[in-house]
Amino acid sequence: MGDFFSAILDIFGSPTMYGSSVRLGGFLAFAALGELVAEKAGTINISVEGSLLAGAFCGALGYHWTGSTGVGLLTGVAGGLVIALIQANMSHRLTADQFVVGLTANVLVLGLAGFFNAIVDPAVRPAAVVAIPGLSDIPLIGPALFGQTWPTYLLYPLIPLTWWLLYRTRWGLEVQAVGENPQASDVSGIDVNKRRRQAIAYGGLLAGLGGAFLVLGQVGSFDTAAVGGRGFIAIAAVYFGGWTLGGTLLGALVFGFADAFRLAVPVLGYQFNAQLLAALPYVLTLVVMVAITKQLRQPAALAQPFVRGLR
Amino acid sequence: MGLPPETTNGAAALELHGMTKRFGNLVACDGVDLVLNRGEIHGILGENGAGKSTLMKMLIGLVLPDEGTILTDGEPCRIVDPLDAASRGIGMVHQHYSLVDALTVWENVALGERGKLDAEGTRERIRSISKRYGLSVDPDARVRDLTAGVRQRVEIIKCLRHEPQILILDEPTSVLTPAESDHLFEVLREGVIREGWAVALVSHKLDEVLKATDRITIMRDGRVVQQVMTVDADAPSLARAMVGRPVTLRTASAAIGAATAADLAGAADRGYTGRPVLEIAEASARSADGEVLLDRLSLQVFAGEIVGVAGVEGNGQQPLSMLLSSLLPLDAGTVTVDGIPIRSGTAGAMMKAAVAVIPADRHDTGCITEMSVAENLVLTSMDRYTSRGVLRREEITARAIEMIDEFAIHTPGPDIPLGRLSGGNQQRVVLARALSAGPKVLVAVQPTRGLDVGAVEYIGERLQRAAGDGIGVLLVSTDLGEIAALADRILVLFRGSIIGEMKRSELDLERLGLLIGGSTDLGRAS
Amino acid sequence: MTGIDTAPEILPSPAAPHGRWRSARETALLYVLSVFGALAISAVLVAMTGNSWPGVFKALFDGAFLAPGRWGNTLTIAMPMLLVAVGTTVAVRAGLFNIGQEGQLLMGAMLMAVVGTKIEGPGVLLLLGGLALGSVAGGAYAGISAVMRYRRGVPEVISTLLLVFIALQVTGFAVTTDWFLRDTDPTRPQRAQNSAALGPDTHLPVIRVFGNELSLGVVIAVVIAVAVAYLLARTIWGFRFRVLGHNARIAQKIGIAATRNGTLALFISGALAGLAGAVMLASGSSSYRFTPGFSTNIGWQGLLVALVARSRPLVCIPMAIVFAALRTGAGFLASTGVDRKIVDVTQALLVLALLIPPAVVFLRNRRRAIAAVSEAG
Repeated sequence: MGDFFSAILDIFGSPTMYGSSVRLGGFLAFAALGELVAEKAGTINISVEGSLLAGAFCGALGYHWTGSTGVGLLTGVAGGLVIALIQANMSHRLTADQFVVGLTANVLVLGLAGFFNAIVDPAVRPAAVVAIPGLSDIPLIGPALFGQTWPTYLLYPLIPLTWWLLYRTRWGLEVQAVGENPQASDVSGIDVNKRRRQAIAYGGLLAGLGGAFLVLGQVGSFDTAAVGGRGFIAIAAVYFGGWTLGGTLLGALVFGFADAFRLAVPVLGYQFNAQLLAALPYVLTLVVMVAITKQLRQPAALAQPFVRGLR
Repeated sequence: MGLPPETTNGAAALELHGMTKRFGNLVACDGVDLVLNRGEIHGILGENGAGKSTLMKMLIGLVLPDEGTILTDGEPCRIVDPLDAASRGIGMVHQHYSLVDALTVWENVALGERGKLDAEGTRERIRSISKRYGLSVDPDARVRDLTAGVRQRVEIIKCLRHEPQILILDEPTSVLTPAESDHLFEVLREGVIREGWAVALVSHKLDEVLKATDRITIMRDGRVVQQVMTVDADAPSLARAMVGRPVTLRTASAAIGAATAADLAGAADRGYTGRPVLEIAEASARSADGEVLLDRLSLQVFAGEIVGVAGVEGNGQQPLSMLLSSLLPLDAGTVTVDGIPIRSGTAGAMMKAAVAVIPADRHDTGCITEMSVAENLVLTSMDRYTSRGVLRREEITARAIEMIDEFAIHTPGPDIPLGRLSGGNQQRVVLARALSAGPKVLVAVQPTRGLDVGAVEYIGERLQRAAGDGIGVLLVSTDLGEIAALADRILVLFRGSIIGEMKRSELDLERLGLLIGGSTDLGRAS
Repeated sequence: MTGIDTAPEILPSPAAPHGRWRSARETALLYVLSVFGALAISAVLVAMTGNSWPGVFKALFDGAFLAPGRWGNTLTIAMPMLLVAVGTTVAVRAGLFNIGQEGQLLMGAMLMAVVGTKIEGPGVLLLLGGLALGSVAGGAYAGISAVMRYRRGVPEVISTLLLVFIALQVTGFAVTTDWFLRDTDPTRPQRAQNSAALGPDTHLPVIRVFGNELSLGVVIAVVIAVAVAYLLARTIWGFRFRVLGHNARIAQKIGIAATRNGTLALFISGALAGLAGAVMLASGSSSYRFTPGFSTNIGWQGLLVALVARSRPLVCIPMAIVFAALRTGAGFLASTGVDRKIVDVTQALLVLALLIPPAVVFLRNRRRAIAAVSEAG
């Protein structure tokens, strides 16, 4: 038993553990932030998984063609946006079922990425680590938060930006209104489906950036299995964050932590069943959802499509 | 704000010529001419379905006219959406569906604008409008916590925020207590005198229009049939113009606000003895958020009597309806049908106990538009048409055809999706199913809301017939006239409990109005 | 909803006879155009890689149907897809969104492997027992999601999905653990990570017809599809599921308990996916061995089949054949120089394409003028 506890302390005390939590959680946070906005507008954007993968592949391609990480990030954003636009327009202009469109978009991206990957295998190098002086010297969390590759830092300003967008602008107010009561919003002169499409597009931008970050700022290579269902974890993070900004980030971090735990265990020399470790983050997510879902209040019109009355 | 009222009162603020709107083969508005003058409250009177709402929606940009011209201050214009209307000085106070519960008052008021979001500025505007017109409301309160009366104040403030010159109110008093209605009319009169507003008051109640307006336009079947100054109008002539024929039935009169107290009172009480067929005792329930839905509610219904539950919306009508539909589990209290206690919240328990509910919103718990007419008609008794699990199609169809005949439901056939039927016929299906299931208790919630006089008469007649057949009828309605016309005994619902009772023979509309507002004889109910 | 749209209710499609004809022709045209569009995009992709798209289509067709023995393969692949799809329709009709078929399938296959490789007994009994247990395993796995939903409010769309990942790990564990399913045969290579093969007497019989071999499972799957279609449309249980799926509140009002019926629907859905897995194994998938990656996305594709078939069990039959055809056809693509992934792309494009016509029709009908709105009374 003592062994077990000292092992836990060892793992929790290791700086690499925190470093990888921020990396893995950060990747999720990109997607979760974007998905939060989409869900505040009343939509469930299952294609966030596809946006992540599209961002990853397009990001890799961008780097491959130009050798610039910056360009790669931009192409990644574009890739994520394209997928989000498919979801947005098919579901909220053409009234196709958003779940079906989302699932299919994911399959489409997987296929396209695999198809093009066989033709062009992008060679990627991870971006440089830029330690922020001073901040990165804080014990334990300093290097984790401020000693990362520079694309990681793109997440930090996105957090207050998203907050400001949602809670301080008219656009954000309308997005919330549209997710709570689309009929009332319509009567007040708001174009409900347009706002929903815009919210999904925002989600796609961020997810695309997240995917590019994964390839260019974290892993350093592209693989079609890179995203591996993390888009759905991002959706779960929004759920168990109770559709609040802080909760969503916390959810992403918790999951990232669980993922990092899984990786840290063997690295630190401990033996533990590989499959159990790999399943840990998913099990943890389920457990958390079971524990807290009942108390949460979701946007009242979540997942309810809106078709305007007759004019 | 425009020129001072003295110089402009009487001038036309808005002119409508030849307004026409068709929805398919249905002509909702047919060549309507209307003039709204400054400094005047203009009542637009007509039964449900006459086209008044559609006409107003064209003014506010929610509906686009097929033909016709709109002139504001003599200038022709096209109104394309609500914000466009607002920029032309036209504002509408909606009934229900224009506030977002989860947001605060100031956020809701801000929703109707364009431009940069200015929280403090909006709050200031709200405070100044509140003060100016006597509409007190807390800008930071969350709308979901407000009563219907306060919500309407928010709606009005939202409208006044654009400093309209032309105000349209669509059936505003349906959610208000009599006291709140009077206050509303005072506010309107103030605004008309001080600001020179041109107010259009849309209503299907002629008593209200007679009380509060200066001029009345009566619409019927999409056309204007009469225009008269209020001082020259009287109830019988208005009633005749509205409906197109003499209105004799008490239910019809009540529906259009033409029934006098004398019409409604007078019937002797029928004696009801024995065991009540429905008894609710000390029923209490809270929502998941802790909001009180029912608060020790107690009532009884005897076989053959019609018990009316009056009250302003939001005082427990929906929870009561849900309780009797097995959708609300009680925290305390009992429901007993014919002496047998029924478990609340247990699927189908109420239905099996022969309690039939006609809900206020048929799409909520009344019928399934994607299923066929026959399936909807037989919905509650499907088990009866099953042998060893297999549905007996021919029997179901035959029974459906019987019911279609009996209730005069207009449908191309029993197997077409219910959604293809008109609203009125869908309502008939719900009614048919409830009455044909052999209920002991029939609960009708807002049964005639939105229906024209003919339909109102039909429903009223069937409810009375049901009572005559020995069914205990519980009529829950926010329409006082409807309750007064039909009920043998009237109960008043306030904040989740019954706070007063009145027998038909002692009907006192004034006292009823006070009870609805929460004032019991012992002072305000807490 | 009543309320601001107090304009008269609008009928969703024209009642006039020639109007109906015209609309059916237009809808058919829309479908043709959409499918053509999807195939065109695929052709463009192929061309972009410098290959011949007619060659690709020919290879696909040959691989799926024309070459000897191929359509038997296609049907054998369609079989588990069909089972998964039919199971999905049950859940969807009851208003539940089960996307965990891949995991439920794995559970079913795993139990089949356990029965088939770890238990001694007469082959037929083991086969039947394995199929039954596999179904129960899949059903119970989906049942976990039902419990989470009805007791704790966890949306099944998330829990079924998370369970897929967990199932993948359980699979990995099973085939790497000696006492569980790992093949401990000393003659096999050391690093083998799969189960022992099912003994020949626990294989599903094979039907030989016109030079093709197809598993008996194909017949089972079709029979089940027809049975489920009948159950949904003509029995009281199907009626209860349908009511629950349309309106859970009315269901509660008339005595259809959401918990019991919803759980049952999810169970059936998972059970059919589990059966699909068991049948796959007993028909020779992965050489009758349970392996990591055993499911080969059959679960996902079965889900897509159900969605494309708009949750109608009988329509799932042709749709499953189409999807399966794409898969088996892909086997012939190597000679054309085009990567197999084009098939996944084409599949996804087809699904998207098939979503467009109903949406367009719906929108158009709302805008159209309709006949016969009778009086409100």
